[in-house]
Amino acid sequence: MIDKGYVIGVIAAMGLVTFALRALPFVAAHWLESHPLVQRLGRFLPLAIMTLLLLHSALGAAREDPRGPWPEVVAVALVLVLQGWRGNALLSILTGTGVYVLMRNY
Amino acid sequence: MQRNDPSAASRPLSALALTAPVAMGYIPLGAVFGFLFVQAGIDWWLAILASIVVFAGAAQYMMIPMIAGGLSIGTIALATLIVNLRHVFYGLSLLQRMPQGRLQRWYVIFGLTDETYSLLTTLPPDSDRRQMVWLALLNHGWWVLGSAIGALVGARTQLALAGLDFALVALFAVLAVEQWRTRTSSAPLLAGVLAYGVAWALAVQHALLLSIAICVAVGAFWQSAPATAGTEGGPGDR
Repeated sequence: MIDKGYVIGVIAAMGLVTFALRALPFVAAHWLESHPLVQRLGRFLPLAIMTLLLLHSALGAAREDPRGPWPEVVAVALVLVLQGWRGNALLSILTGTGVYVLMRNY
Repeated sequence: MQRNDPSAASRPLSALALTAPVAMGYIPLGAVFGFLFVQAGIDWWLAILASIVVFAGAAQYMMIPMIAGGLSIGTIALATLIVNLRHVFYGLSLLQRMPQGRLQRWYVIFGLTDETYSLLTTLPPDSDRRQMVWLALLNHGWWVLGSAIGALVGARTQLALAGLDFALVALFAVLAVEQWRTRTSSAPLLAGVLAYGVAWALAVQHALLLSIAICVAVGAFWQSAPATAGTEGGPGDR
């Protein structure tokens, strides 16, 4: 079993960071709205960071997979197409993960 | 609660109907979180605590391998900052529409996940502010309920299937598609791919952090399309 104190510390830190990010616009709206730099980053960063996280996590999975990277490429493409087509997050995630698990184990 | 106000009585019921599609997603996805969390060797009740306190899908999926790897709390906090940075920009469009009560207001802010945010933006502007509290509370409840189911099942099962943690990759892919849908430009996608390529070539171990730094720098100087097209002309153009 992993140390409970450590996990509680992680949960507390993650909770604080997440809440601070969600609260920032409500305590610093004027500052955020009056800075063109923040506005530009707000339009630019969300898609850029999601692209990075997708690449990073998919490459991480491919590196741990002895048969990589094709199962990862196929499963990611499947999720992207399903989400773009149907827009149903649950369907995309469960189908993509299910197909990936099948490819990894059989 | 005003007992004679029919809208007050129907408020939780209509909120229940509004959050039903979210429940369809949050309960199974929360269950996958709870299951993977317990399978990583962490106590089941900590999965429920995480879902109560953190309430952020992608960050919670990400925390499992990080805890299993024993990464420092500071590193995990930084990763949470990166994954949830988009939430800073959600609140701006809801500033004028929050509940008045201090506690209610802060609770709705706490619960501003991607799905709660989408739901709140679909409410008509003159709708009852207390409805927002019900929506946030129900979504939070679905997520905790799903996590609890997954954690309790996971605590009684031994399942040696490789690749279940692909759910995190799939979740990032879904969020990327949703960000792509609301984009004003394709430049951030291109910048992300190029920045990751550069960062990978320079320092594989720190590819994510380095590529995020590159994207922040590019985003800071990024202008709308006509301005960037103008800078492409070389000195030989004249």
